[in-house]
Amino acid sequence: MNEQFVFGEKHEFLQKLKDLVKGGISPKKINVFTPYPVHEVEEILKVPTSPLRFFTLLGALSGLFFGAWFTAWTSLDWPLIGGGKPIVSVPAFVIVTFELTILFGGVISFLGFLILSKLPSPKRIGTPVEHGNQFVIEIQSEGK
Amino acid sequence: MDRRNFLKLLGISSGTALISSCGVDKANEKIIPYVIPPEEDIFVGNPAYFTTTCTECPANCGMQVTANEKVYHDVRNIFPTKLEGIAGHPVNDGALCMRGQASLFRLYHPDRIKRPMMRDGDGNFRVTTWKEAYAKIIVELAAATGEGKRNMYFSGRTTGTMSGLTDDFCKEMSVERLPEFEVFSHANLKKANDIVFNRPEIPHYRIENADFLLTVGADVVETFMNPVASANHIQKAKDKNNLSWYHIEPAVSLTGVQASKRFAIKLHSEVYLLAFLLQSLSQQNSLKKSLPARISRLIPDYSITVIAERTGLSEENLRLLLSRFANAKTPLIIAGGVSTAQENGLETAVFAALLQWATGMTDNTVDFDHAENYGSVGSMLDVRKLEDSLKNKQVGVLFISRTDPVTYLPEAEQFVELMKNTRLRVALSDFMTSTVQECDIVLPLSHSLEAWGDAAPRKGIRNVIQPAIEPQYDTRSEGDILLQIMAQKSGAASAQFYNDYLIDKWHSLYGEGETVGMLERGYREEPVPSLPAILSGDGTEAFLKNAGFVVESSDKPVLVITPSIRAYDGRSKVLPLMSEIPDPLTTITYGEWISVSDKTAKKMGWKDRDEVAVELNGVSLKFPVKVQHLLPENIYMVQRDLIYPQATPVDSRSGEESWYVKDISVNATGNHIPMPIMSGSMHEDNRGLLPPEEEEHPYEHKEEHPVGRMYAPHEHDNYRWGMAIDMDSCIGCSACVAACYVENNLAITGKKAHLNGREMSWIRLEPWVKDDETINYDLMLCQQCDDAPCEPVCPVYATYHSKEGLNTQVYNRCVGTRYCSNNCPYKVRRFNWFDFRLPEPWDKMYNPEVSVRTRGIMEKCTFCIQRIRHAKDKAKDENRLVQDGEITTACAQTCPTNAITFGNLMDKNSRVSKLAHSNRAYRALEELGTEPAVHYLPKKESKEEA
Amino acid sequence: MKSIEYNEQLERDVLAALSKPSPWYWVALVVCALLFVTGLSLWLYQILKGMGVSGLNNPVGWGTYITDFVFWVGIAHSGTLISAILFLFRAKFRNAFNRSAEAMTVFAVMTAGLFPLIHLGRTWFFYWLFPYPNQRGLWVNFKSPLVWDVFAVSTYFTISLIFWYTGLVPDIAIVRRYATGFRKKIYSIFSLGWTGSLRQWWHYNRLYVFLAAFATPLVISVHSVVSWDFAMSIIPGWHTTIFAPYFVAGAIFSGTGMVITLVVPMRKIFRLEKLITINHFEKIAQTLLFTSLIVTYSYIVEFGLAFYGHHQFEAAHFTYRLLGDYQVLYWIMLFGNSLLPLTLFVRKLRRSIVYLFIVSIFVNIGMWLERFVIIVTSLAKDFDPYAWGLYKPSVVEIGITLGSFGMFFMFFLIFVKVLPVLSVTEIKEEAAHE
Repeated sequence: MNEQFVFGEKHEFLQKLKDLVKGGISPKKINVFTPYPVHEVEEILKVPTSPLRFFTLLGALSGLFFGAWFTAWTSLDWPLIGGGKPIVSVPAFVIVTFELTILFGGVISFLGFLILSKLPSPKRIGTPVEHGNQFVIEIQSEGK
Repeated sequence: MDRRNFLKLLGISSGTALISSCGVDKANEKIIPYVIPPEEDIFVGNPAYFTTTCTECPANCGMQVTANEKVYHDVRNIFPTKLEGIAGHPVNDGALCMRGQASLFRLYHPDRIKRPMMRDGDGNFRVTTWKEAYAKIIVELAAATGEGKRNMYFSGRTTGTMSGLTDDFCKEMSVERLPEFEVFSHANLKKANDIVFNRPEIPHYRIENADFLLTVGADVVETFMNPVASANHIQKAKDKNNLSWYHIEPAVSLTGVQASKRFAIKLHSEVYLLAFLLQSLSQQNSLKKSLPARISRLIPDYSITVIAERTGLSEENLRLLLSRFANAKTPLIIAGGVSTAQENGLETAVFAALLQWATGMTDNTVDFDHAENYGSVGSMLDVRKLEDSLKNKQVGVLFISRTDPVTYLPEAEQFVELMKNTRLRVALSDFMTSTVQECDIVLPLSHSLEAWGDAAPRKGIRNVIQPAIEPQYDTRSEGDILLQIMAQKSGAASAQFYNDYLIDKWHSLYGEGETVGMLERGYREEPVPSLPAILSGDGTEAFLKNAGFVVESSDKPVLVITPSIRAYDGRSKVLPLMSEIPDPLTTITYGEWISVSDKTAKKMGWKDRDEVAVELNGVSLKFPVKVQHLLPENIYMVQRDLIYPQATPVDSRSGEESWYVKDISVNATGNHIPMPIMSGSMHEDNRGLLPPEEEEHPYEHKEEHPVGRMYAPHEHDNYRWGMAIDMDSCIGCSACVAACYVENNLAITGKKAHLNGREMSWIRLEPWVKDDETINYDLMLCQQCDDAPCEPVCPVYATYHSKEGLNTQVYNRCVGTRYCSNNCPYKVRRFNWFDFRLPEPWDKMYNPEVSVRTRGIMEKCTFCIQRIRHAKDKAKDENRLVQDGEITTACAQTCPTNAITFGNLMDKNSRVSKLAHSNRAYRALEELGTEPAVHYLPKKESKEEA
Repeated sequence: MKSIEYNEQLERDVLAALSKPSPWYWVALVVCALLFVTGLSLWLYQILKGMGVSGLNNPVGWGTYITDFVFWVGIAHSGTLISAILFLFRAKFRNAFNRSAEAMTVFAVMTAGLFPLIHLGRTWFFYWLFPYPNQRGLWVNFKSPLVWDVFAVSTYFTISLIFWYTGLVPDIAIVRRYATGFRKKIYSIFSLGWTGSLRQWWHYNRLYVFLAAFATPLVISVHSVVSWDFAMSIIPGWHTTIFAPYFVAGAIFSGTGMVITLVVPMRKIFRLEKLITINHFEKIAQTLLFTSLIVTYSYIVEFGLAFYGHHQFEAAHFTYRLLGDYQVLYWIMLFGNSLLPLTLFVRKLRRSIVYLFIVSIFVNIGMWLERFVIIVTSLAKDFDPYAWGLYKPSVVEIGITLGSFGMFFMFFLIFVKVLPVLSVTEIKEEAAHE
């Protein structure tokens, strides 16, 4: 059975959270639900930086390398002369590579977010958890 | 099978049944065998070639027909798809003018008369059979003779065997053969030569022998005599004799602006100029043959100041002309056109003839022995005689063949009424012209590409006409018709076929061996008796005593009816290509216009397309204005095919009709008429399309900065195709434009599209107003740039650069973004806005070697890549490279002056390389760094002192 | 008041807009839908008959359609500016506009994306513009600015969509709470089962920052790429390096104008005056003025470069723009883009909603005309005077343009009835910080 503390005001909620942590409850066992992101929570619970940044880096780098490789490879595969410009035109290809970096970076970041947040959650789509505008602290009980 | 065997076949006459269409009902024939059975080594897919003669105008250029085997509406046949000149032909040496190139449109014209027709009791035309028509004719001929009436044969210019056959026919059938009717009858020229030399003929002008040519009014590169031959020989003379060509005219013509130097002369004052030249040369003792005193004292003698005032030429220019004549070894003067078709035109022509004699031209450049065959062509006097006969109800049966008096005579309504005074009117024609519509029997003529025949454009030449396709409809050649009528009258079972008749005649004239040679070559040159031109003192004196020199040349507005390079005398207007291609001087395509002097326009506040009403001869005609640079203030011009024939004075001495309409008034109506003028502006403004000027321009852009290239040039594989275009040779005739249209299946888009700025020409002439003396042209086509701006912007690689230097256009890859055409600084790319397609049956003309583009596709000049491919394939089979001269593009091929040279720029010995590296050469818009493969050689500036 | 009361009041105010629509709404939606359908039919007609049904010709191969393309991409940029760039700069006032602005971005990019297809001569082969492996071994020409467009606009659409959607997820969860029946199911699906847990907010925050960081260079690069459709060409008036910053500034300028045009009536109709205040509008008006000054500066530089450089073709071209066949359009453009916005230096005018609305209309017209003038005047008269020719839009082009407006407003009208027009969650967050 999870213990829940529900608050209407942010400062009350934060105070309780501080007390709980000071009181020795492990931050790992504490989950909070807020209507909007509350940054103080992360300080109190000593939450590290989100690992999402690795997805972003992965996405951006893959976009970069794919863009550079793809544009160059396709141009060399069937080298057609166009306007006297070199077959591998770096300024032109940089533009496409840049866009692909952003595209892959953004899409993979979003996918990373979904993976990390375990969304979409079919359970929660079926029976939504509604806390409204309240701030909720949930403590996992022992044995779970 | 070669000609020799084929002719043997003719003897057995199994082949002839295929060729002559006598008695065969065309409508039920499905399988049409080859006209000429394929030779053993012809493969399907390779074109067949036929030599014949062009009959679009009386010049009769030797013509080679390219025919391709195609399946059209489930029928396999060989269709002529391209016409070219015969290389080495004594008349046109490989060139063909724009009307010749377009005459395929006549062959496949949907409005051709398809079946013989006869008027029934109600006065309507109904289809008949040839036998029935002939029967009626024979009956009527006999009845007319019985009544004491005269039967008459009235035709257009006829030469060669056909002329002899017509004589035989007329004798046999009791028909009078009338002088032939041609709008351009050159009556004054003939009469002048009659007066001066006792030779009522038009000599052959040997321009190729001249080193100084003075054309007085004669539009030698547009319609006069044989414009292709004239242009070709002008170029030969430029190359061989360093020919200088001056043109004198009272109005403005394409010929005038293309000459090395052009002089604007006051109306009707050519006589004074020529008289001045005669008198001055005589006084200077520069004449080769002196005129007898009794003649020279009748020639007006004025001081140079008076002449300058009368002609409007400066004294400096008069002296220049004089010195040119005096110093020329082989001068030539040709008077004609607007300068002889005027009230004192006969006087002008007589003086020109006297000059020709006195300066020795009749010995080397004016050749009466090889005179043009205009001997049986009559003048307006003969037309008046016919009208008198008709008025007096003397005419029984009237044959009208290949001529259209109702369209071309000013008194058309009267003539129609007079025609009703006959028993029977028989028309032999290809179209339902206004004249044909007044006739009772209509006998449809085959096109010259469907029939046998011959032509003799001038003495000493015989051209062969042979068919390249079976008659497509139930039509027959004139020769067959006359033979059949004669046969039917005499009760013979069948008539001799005209081609048999021809062969017989040729055999008897030339012998069998020569005949075979003639058929192979397409023509025969024969020796003519030599008879030097002798001055007829009596004739000349008598004329000069009564001559009328003075025609009041006032400043009142005068309308000049000019010939049209696109329509000739109007006959070629029916060819749609002739309206699609712009008139070279004005760049107008569809519709009519009146050319107005730029000075007048400025004074009256008129702009292009403003409508004016021209009051003349009691009627008011409305035209949109086209402002014309160089035109004198009081002169207006309308081309002959754009206005109803106007009643003008006819010279009773010669029958020549004046081309000048006096007593006119021109006023604005306030309307503005949409008119397709292809040129956006005629001011080049030193942009780099013409060779760079010396003077500073306010925004001077280059010269100090040589164009550098950002990237290394790419390498070429054996060939780098390029072109050199010599604008000094170019005469602006637009034959290249027409040839390109036909060769590459270009679409004819029509007036509405032109008004919306959509036409498909891949090559075009651009006129630029230079200064008060000249209009300079450039010829613009795809420059096949090495660093083409159109290539990198195509998203799908539909246009890329080939290793041989061609900027290729891949039709089936194009998605139609049109970025390429936006980026082209020369604007030579054309987009298919709709599915432009030649309407049936003109689509028989399509060249199967070139795809027909659908909507949404961009196209442009390809340097005739299909021809390049053929030549390369052939060279590959023979394990060699393509040699210089093996390939030529359609435009270069047809050019009368060889202004366009195509070839391999990597071959240092090729003609194009030499021209491209000459120190006259420049490239268009060079500063943009596009590295075009087309090099231009500018018009040579005539900087001559007296 | 207590924050929870404030929040609940906020939700009710914003979600009131999602209630049953009034008859006027239906009228507006039907009109827009009709325009859209008419546009589509005209497009079909054009595909079947050919591009000739437009007013395009030789030499003017681009006209209304490309103007529309650049116009709509430009509109889209402002949304991203407000969402992403202002977010990175921590500009608080953005919260009043950013949801609508992001929606505007997505719909504008969708509308813009149709125009490259509409202007293609052979639209049915549009997929050849994308590089895909095929039998012919043919890829696309990556040197072509049109291919850069394909990548830039696709990327822009994808990222904008993701960004908009990401921002929407918590707000959809709010709507879910108020919805019933079938609608509740839909909102549940699209909210992905959002609970607002620590873990979710933890990753969400990072994602939002990264997306904003991606979107920022995207704004600059996409419209630069679109401007290079012209700048990579050689014709006078197009061939200039100033195009990228010039167009980006212009895009933000025109987009800001469109934001005002959309938000002023929306605010009135849905009674959101308390949430979108005059102070917010004043800030937007200052953005408008600032970007207008940049655009004016670009005009001056263009002329300066042309005449100072003594370049024959450039000078002739700019003279043509000022005094030639299209000069009336040019002067209207100058008035709407450069002159009229100068009045926003006056504080009173900046704070007048009505005046701002009027100015925004002129800005929209002026910016549409700017693209039209640039495209058409450069093509009408370039190097070879023989080829010069004029262009006038045809009925089909006007119809399709109106159809695009119909499409955009239709989507926007649907949006306001289906999703919250304000970013409720962010407003709550901002309110809590005060």
